[in-house]
Amino acid sequence: MTSFVLYLRKNRTLLITASVLLLLLLLAIQGMETQDWVVTVLRSLSVAAVTFLVASGFSLIFGLLDVLNLAQGTLFMIGAYVAWTVYIRPDTFIDILTPFCFLIAGFTLLPLWDFLASRLTGKKILVRLWPWVGLLLAGFVLLFALRAYPITIWNPGVYSQSPGTYSLFADTGTRLIPPAETFGDGSAVLVLGGILLGSFLLAFSLAGLQNNRNAARVRKSLRLPWAYSVAFLAVFLVGLLVHLFNTPLTTAIVGLGSTWLFFIAILVALLTGVLLGSLIESTLIRPLYSRPIYQLMITLGLSAVGIELVRAIWGRPEFTMPKPEIFNGAGVNCPATTLAGVFQDHCSTILFMDSRIRVYNEIFIPLVGLIVLIGIWLLLQRTRIGMIIRAGVQDREMVEALGINVRRVFTFVFALGVGMATLGGALAGPSMGISTAMGESLLLNALIALAIGGLTSFPGAAVGSLLVGLMQQFIIKYGQIGIQLPFLAEPFKPTPPLVPASTVLLMVIILLVMPRGLLGRKE
Amino acid sequence: MNQASISPSKFSSRFKSFFRGNLGGWIVILAMVLLPFITSLISGQSISNLLANESGMAKFVQGLAIEIFILALYALSYDLILGVTGLLSFGHAMFFAVGAYLTGILLKSFGWSLWATLGMVLVAAIIQAILFAVVLPRVQGVTFALVTLGIASVFYIVIQSHEMSAYAGADVGLQGVVAPEFINAADHRMRFYFVTLGLLIGMYLLYKRFVNSPTGRVCIAIRENEKRALMLGYNTFYFKLIALTLASITAALAGCLHALFQPIVSPHTASMGFTIAALLMTLIGGVGTLSGALVGAAIYRLLEYGLKNIFGEQATFLLGVVYVLIVLFLPYGIIGTWKLRALQIRSGWQRLIGLVTGKPKQA
Repeated sequence: MTSFVLYLRKNRTLLITASVLLLLLLLAIQGMETQDWVVTVLRSLSVAAVTFLVASGFSLIFGLLDVLNLAQGTLFMIGAYVAWTVYIRPDTFIDILTPFCFLIAGFTLLPLWDFLASRLTGKKILVRLWPWVGLLLAGFVLLFALRAYPITIWNPGVYSQSPGTYSLFADTGTRLIPPAETFGDGSAVLVLGGILLGSFLLAFSLAGLQNNRNAARVRKSLRLPWAYSVAFLAVFLVGLLVHLFNTPLTTAIVGLGSTWLFFIAILVALLTGVLLGSLIESTLIRPLYSRPIYQLMITLGLSAVGIELVRAIWGRPEFTMPKPEIFNGAGVNCPATTLAGVFQDHCSTILFMDSRIRVYNEIFIPLVGLIVLIGIWLLLQRTRIGMIIRAGVQDREMVEALGINVRRVFTFVFALGVGMATLGGALAGPSMGISTAMGESLLLNALIALAIGGLTSFPGAAVGSLLVGLMQQFIIKYGQIGIQLPFLAEPFKPTPPLVPASTVLLMVIILLVMPRGLLGRKE
Repeated sequence: MNQASISPSKFSSRFKSFFRGNLGGWIVILAMVLLPFITSLISGQSISNLLANESGMAKFVQGLAIEIFILALYALSYDLILGVTGLLSFGHAMFFAVGAYLTGILLKSFGWSLWATLGMVLVAAIIQAILFAVVLPRVQGVTFALVTLGIASVFYIVIQSHEMSAYAGADVGLQGVVAPEFINAADHRMRFYFVTLGLLIGMYLLYKRFVNSPTGRVCIAIRENEKRALMLGYNTFYFKLIALTLASITAALAGCLHALFQPIVSPHTASMGFTIAALLMTLIGGVGTLSGALVGAAIYRLLEYGLKNIFGEQATFLLGVVYVLIVLFLPYGIIGTWKLRALQIRSGWQRLIGLVTGKPKQA
């Protein structure tokens, strides 16, 4: 009993704030009809789920690494674009796979390069210089080889080949696949060999750079764990096979139908995020751990670079990503009245209390959000690495002192966080539409959600995202039906600009009451 | 010290040492004053032609320089907050945009005189600094950055809203600001140039004095260790408020000049991107060096201009890459690195001079 009273007293501010928020929600629900608020709550769940995917990665990264990853919004957007590519243009995806595998192949043999680089001794200036020469050479080789490899792609400048047109055709059910490009001049063997050679050179020079930096030590024997050679063989074979069976593979993957393609797209987006995340962490963020403010600036720079890169490849105009068949059916029984109807006819909407609920937006996305929430929660609470992450959030130095390689966990967490952002982007593609600006608004949402929930708290990210979603959707709904305020004769209709403004206001008020956010850790 | 007791000779020696100590600064000021004339000489334009405000190379260069001066004022104010006081604010663009929009709206829609407008901008700048400072005692570090980002983004949204479009022009921006005739940048480019230059120099000197004053020293102490400053009995809130107010006034003035110079105020000046530009400029020059902000602004604008000219659309991408490279490889900025290396560079110079003149100097 006393402990309960103590708990109440300790969290007085939190409880008062929470009850005020609950009261506000109840008031908001009171003002509209039942069907309206059910739909509004479902919609806010959808917004909350996407926000949560970005925000939770952000909070994990910030909690453990102390890096404010402001590129998270851009990575979210990149996820959407990657998913679009796999979903609408699987042929391009297949085409890209081969050079990508060959590029990776060189890096799977890193121990070998390390060994070779350590044996390269001679004049000091030569040892210092050769990696740069190697890098330059690798750049040249790759520039020519990658250019010569035929990749069927779109052309944002020409209307009939722009991403928007391909999306439109996919929406009507016919998947427009342009004829595959072929090798113009130069043989396939030469080009593929060139890519492989460039990749080897690149990995070798990077190993040499690393060796120079860490006061080169000569290794006596080569230790190449078998896993590395197997990985090399696997990557190489996948690349080669995809190259050899390019056309049949394309027809097969197109024949899979949009539902499977969609799930493949989501998976590829997730993997892209994980890869990008580990790459960014290990090359750009890691040198800057001693200079915290610069990490923030580098993520800012990255986000600018990312947006421009996407603009250069996919073009500036917005386009849509059609929903997959399973969420886009229009059978006789649609809109479905029961859940069974959804599974039978793949209806796009459910009729619930005379209002339509979109299956993809309002049921599928929150469901994925919930699964990710539970998954990450289990990872944090039940596994060894989760334990290390939680300990690291509390006290990083102590974990390091206990002899745990925190740096490796850093890379893992960064990759995980970015992966969740790209997953969110892939999911949001069909519901939000794809544009280069989609990351910006979502980053703001995620930041607000985090600040509300407490910056380093994982459950806080979920609570904050939920609050942001609810706030936005209720304001939007009240913008349609109007709200009866005490001293006004006419119902007040909040205008669209008030939507983001209201969440910002919520954040400022909550931060003023509780500077560490709702569930933030006290220091 | 008694002023009257300084003898003329002592005074002149003091003046000399003051002059010598800031030789680089004097040279830069002289170069900036002479810049329009030199460019007109290079492009073969006569001086009378230049004074009559004929269009040409000189006028264009003046325009570019004016933009740099305005950006430098803006970057300077950001450096005071971030580099000197150590407050990470993500809402700095709002300081600038409030000045710009207020000037534009008051001059265009309300027909106020320039002086009344300036007074209003000053008042608005102080008010918004207080608005930012309200949250200061509660939130620190990253949370302060987020709150300022929030406040600034509300402003950004409001300025772009349709309700304000009659005044602020929604997402197209405020167009056709009517600048008073005597300072019209199109007709009296040279006058505008020297007004901006004078203001920049004045502000820079003021900032230098501020940083070296007891108040400024406390601001530096806050950056280094706020808890210790509190322990020593300073009410850090007031010092932060002073720094914020000074920065806000400077940025609003820069915005005001921006609105007068370009008769257009685009909503971009209120966006997050413009805050990042300020960050970038201070970073290029060196955080906390003040003079770094000026150098950074010059490099930023010239780089942007040059890259846009050469590469067109891809300029932003390249700027981002340059930015990342600077963060990775030039961590203290140009002026910061220069200050760190100054001793080495000086001894290197002396060795070089010794080699040339054949008189090796003993270290």
